[in-house]
Amino acid sequence: MATTKLSRRKIAAYFADELIAGRSVVKPLAAYLVEAKRTREAALVVRDIESALADRGVLLADVSTARELTAEMKKEITGFLTQTTNAKSVHIKPHVDPHLLGGVRIDTPSTRLDTTIRHRLNKLTATKI
Amino acid sequence: MDFLTQFAATEEAASGDIMTTLGIHWELLAFQIIAFLILVWALGKFVYPWLMKSVDERQAKIEESVKAAEEAEKKAESAQEDIAKLLKDARVEAKDIVTTAKDEAAAMVADAEGKAKARAEKIVKDAHEQLEKDVIAARKALHNDTIELVALATEKIVGKTVSESVDKKIIAQAVKEQA
Repeated sequence: MATTKLSRRKIAAYFADELIAGRSVVKPLAAYLVEAKRTREAALVVRDIESALADRGVLLADVSTARELTAEMKKEITGFLTQTTNAKSVHIKPHVDPHLLGGVRIDTPSTRLDTTIRHRLNKLTATKI
Repeated sequence: MDFLTQFAATEEAASGDIMTTLGIHWELLAFQIIAFLILVWALGKFVYPWLMKSVDERQAKIEESVKAAEEAEKKAESAQEDIAKLLKDARVEAKDIVTTAKDEAAAMVADAEGKAKARAEKIVKDAHEQLEKDVIAARKALHNDTIELVALATEKIVGKTVSESVDKKIIAQAVKEQA
């Protein structure tokens, strides 16, 4: 990998293609960021890679719930995302956050769907004047 | 005198007429007439003019005094009239001043009453506005406290009551609604 400073969009496109091709990108990406002294941009690069994957029909979604998702619920959410985004492939990354109390929060590179009880309570408290 | 008495006795004895009998001696009479005339002339020449002058002067002074007294009386009468007129004018002016003072006092009282009324109305209005503000603030505080309390209570209750099955239903419902 050359040490020339590439744009994050190009990096994301490259690593998205690598992922779709089935190759591991963790080590090469880490090596590049360290060598290019751009480790501070790691989170942004990951987000850009997710966006690039979404453009290529591969959707990565962070799914947060108050309890562990069952296989049935994962399947239901995956079907929902496939249906609403027209993605060829959907991969969900489940997160457990008891603070959410109930419901589900789905974060995709382009949108967020938040139906958690915590979110509703926050909306309620936001109506304070 | 002795000479005259002696002369007369001599003459009486000599003539023996009525004039002598009456004791009148022509010489003496003539002498007395001449002396009298001289006296009259002297008086008319020296005393009477001076006396008349003094009398005239005195009369003039008296007339002047009388005239001055009359003038003084006239002046006094005029002054009396002036005083009466001044008193009348003063009374009229005093009446006007009193009337004006009463009017001004009434106007001042009316003005003060108007200002006091306006001030009182402003105080009442401000009090109403402040009261309304306080009510609105209290309502806001109550609203916010209620929301806070509801959110807190909901969090406490939901955190204990939402079971896995309920959570599953909530998620399924949310997915269906969004689909």
